[in-house]
Amino acid sequence: MDLVVGDAAKAASPAALQRPVAQIGLRVLTGIAAFLSFAIIFLMLFFLIAYAYPAIRFNGLAFFIDPIWNIGNQYGSGVTTRNGFSGAPGASFGALVFIYGSVITAILTMVVAVPLSLMVALALVFRVPRRIRPLANALVELMAGVPSVVYGLWGLVVLVPWIGRQFAPFVTAHFGFIPFLGGQAGSGNGLAASVFILALMVIPIMVATTRDVILAQSPAIFEASMALGSSTWQAMTRAVLPSVRSGVVASILLAFGRALGETMAVLMVCGAAVNVFPQNIFSPVNTIAAVIVSQLESALTDATGMAQRSLAELACALFVITLLVNIAARTIMRNADRREGRAA
Amino acid sequence: MRKTMALALAALLLVSVGGRALAATTLLETGSTLLYPLMNLWVADYQKVHGDVQITTQGTGSGTGISQAISGVAQIGASDAYMSDAQRTQNHMLNIPLAISAQQINYNVPGLNNVHLNLSGPVLAGIYSGTIQYWDDAQIKAINKQYAGKLTHNQIVPIHRAEGSGDTFIFTQYLSKSTPSWATGPGFGTAITWPSVGNAVGATGNPGMVQTCQNTQYSIAYIGVSFLTQTEKAGLGYAALQNQAGQFVLPTGSTISAAAKALDSKTPADEVLSLIFAPGSDSYPIVNYEYAIVNPQQSDPGKAAELKKFLEWILDENGGQSEKYLNAVHFLPLPASILKLSKAQVAQIK
Repeated sequence: MDLVVGDAAKAASPAALQRPVAQIGLRVLTGIAAFLSFAIIFLMLFFLIAYAYPAIRFNGLAFFIDPIWNIGNQYGSGVTTRNGFSGAPGASFGALVFIYGSVITAILTMVVAVPLSLMVALALVFRVPRRIRPLANALVELMAGVPSVVYGLWGLVVLVPWIGRQFAPFVTAHFGFIPFLGGQAGSGNGLAASVFILALMVIPIMVATTRDVILAQSPAIFEASMALGSSTWQAMTRAVLPSVRSGVVASILLAFGRALGETMAVLMVCGAAVNVFPQNIFSPVNTIAAVIVSQLESALTDATGMAQRSLAELACALFVITLLVNIAARTIMRNADRREGRAA
Repeated sequence: MRKTMALALAALLLVSVGGRALAATTLLETGSTLLYPLMNLWVADYQKVHGDVQITTQGTGSGTGISQAISGVAQIGASDAYMSDAQRTQNHMLNIPLAISAQQINYNVPGLNNVHLNLSGPVLAGIYSGTIQYWDDAQIKAINKQYAGKLTHNQIVPIHRAEGSGDTFIFTQYLSKSTPSWATGPGFGTAITWPSVGNAVGATGNPGMVQTCQNTQYSIAYIGVSFLTQTEKAGLGYAALQNQAGQFVLPTGSTISAAAKALDSKTPADEVLSLIFAPGSDSYPIVNYEYAIVNPQQSDPGKAAELKKFLEWILDENGGQSEKYLNAVHFLPLPASILKLSKAQVAQIK
């Protein structure tokens, strides 16, 4: 009897042993992964702030309110010292122009992209004929996969000349009475070109995510709403969109983050304005991400290192802006859910 | 399983190819994008006869070139600008001229792109600081009497480099040396604080400068002379610039070498000298040495020996200084006295 039990135990043991080991292994691995995702973000922020600390002290509050970014006279003698930290003579790093540029391009991009994306996503789910739907879906996904530098190159070669020669002169001439649309038509490089390019880049992302949440949740809601006698438009805007609101907000957040952080394509078409605010939507602008790339090269020659550290401070600022946007969006969502008596 | 095997084999192959390259002495050159095309011509021919050394070239920008030469990642850091005093006191690095380059002032003014407008440092400084806003400004007309009727009331779009650049360094140095108010204001450097001019545009790289100038009517830009072929293809005009003697000169082989010759006796042993705004009635005012930034104390004696051999070849009249390389990018060879100084600097490498 013992022998039999022993045999049975022996026979069962590999599988019986494997399962707990595999489970423990999986738990440990996922635990490490979950921990790492926090740890990496935290460490990145920590090192960034530690590296930028001399710049934070050197620049003080002027970093956020001064529009002049001056890396100082690299070939001059002596140093400029503030709060115990030194930069090149005459150096002062004010990031207001770049912070403003980042925020305004991202917001305008959302103004263009959000309605378009929602309409495209709804159309893809409810209106596009079944036969060409796979093709349309594939096209959207293809657009999402195009590298940003390709958009940038297209922008520089095709979009910018078009804006500079046709679009901007037309708009300033006929709609110049509207604030922010009048004034100089400019060269084509600028805010409008950046917003166009960014919208092209974020629309596929928003369409793909919005389409998926609609598909996952709402065909039944749509049909129910139609059955109650609403028009297609009413069914889409009053029934479907509210039901997928958290998914839509998530996709807007994703797109907003992308628009804030996009570097190369923006750098190629934004006109890289320094020390000057945009006068209208055709003025050259600059964003935090584009400035970090374009100024790194000369910052490397700063013997005091303050220019590099100030770029790190810019990176911190971008990090914080992204964080604030996230928190704000989540707060808005939670409040909206609470009003409607739903759990967050 | 077969897939895994194939992958493993491919990886092995890659490692072995990499391994073979590592067997020879390797040198890394990185930095100036202006020098990069020439460096590639040099390296290709040099390696044909020196198979035992593997030279990798990278166009990353002068600032990266200098910082990677200091950190030891690269053996040669290519730079359009010599290092600042502040940087050189921190790190003892050789600044070795390899060739002479120049810069054109290009413009896109319909009807005038096929002629050469006269421009001066003070006028350019006025344009880039926003005090001269239109092409029919009295100061521009005064030095272009023969084209006064063709200069129209159109707004000038000044284009500058968005990123740090040796081209910005030599252009702003010309403005600083010719215009006192620019010297005490924005000054010069690879990146400067550009005055706030609402319609000024920043462009990336020399190709971006050519593209933006071509796209934008009534614009003006500063572009390295090695892009002469591209600027001509783009239909841009280029200016005759006023030199220290007050003459307006075009960038040609003779005016560029005149500038270099005017200063070669003044070049110090460490060869840190600006050729901008050189004296002499024939001297083109925006001329510069292209530098190799090299650490004299190399950590690897094998690399040091190969590095010296390569630099000596570049500084050889029958080697890298020959016209077949330099003409391709519109650079000029170093005068004999400068070659001597450069070779003496190369001899310090250990």
